[in-house]
Amino acid sequence: MSRSVTLLGYAVLVVSAAGLEVAARRRGSATFVDALTIVLRSRAPRLVLLAAWLWLGWHLFVRVDWQ
Amino acid sequence: MDGPSPVPAGPTDAGRALHLALAVGVAAYGWWAVGLAPFSAQATAAVVLAGAAAMAVGSRQRQSRRSPDDVDASGMAPWAGLAALAGAWQLAAYLQHPRADHPTASSLANELLDSHPARTAGFLVWIAAAWWLSRR
Repeated sequence: MSRSVTLLGYAVLVVSAAGLEVAARRRGSATFVDALTIVLRSRAPRLVLLAAWLWLGWHLFVRVDWQ
Repeated sequence: MDGPSPVPAGPTDAGRALHLALAVGVAAYGWWAVGLAPFSAQATAAVVLAGAAAMAVGSRQRQSRRSPDDVDASGMAPWAGLAALAGAWQLAAYLQHPRADHPTASSLANELLDSHPARTAGFLVWIAAAWWLSRR
């Protein structure tokens, strides 16, 4: 039950993102890529986001004993 | 008397061959990197250095810098709100146990990436995204 609720939450987030993207394209406002581009053009957020991406790779591909 | 010179095919073919060799090399590297012993310094170096290299290449290829004002920032608020919601949902799942009942995004990813080919594909997507993000 709890797992289903958690997964439903993630699904709602994904569907909401898709809805926002469609609405943004229709209105001509910031799409996901536009929003990301705006964030990445400022130095400090850029460094934080790129560092977070490196951490994510380490977290997914080093910190897991999958074999 | 002479017509327009034909477009030379050589450099294009060489470029394609170079890209193919690069793609094969990166894929082979990914296969090797995800097979290293987990939690090891070697695995950490292989993953982090590959990501940093992809970011360095992307940063060098970065398009001419424009000021943030050049991009239409209208409509940013909903994305910020959604990002905050996603972060809150992820944090709520992380703080609850057992993990099987409260999966985080990374535990779900690990369920998907449970074979060597799948992990290699995931690693290549991560590398490509690192390059793409750093070009923005």
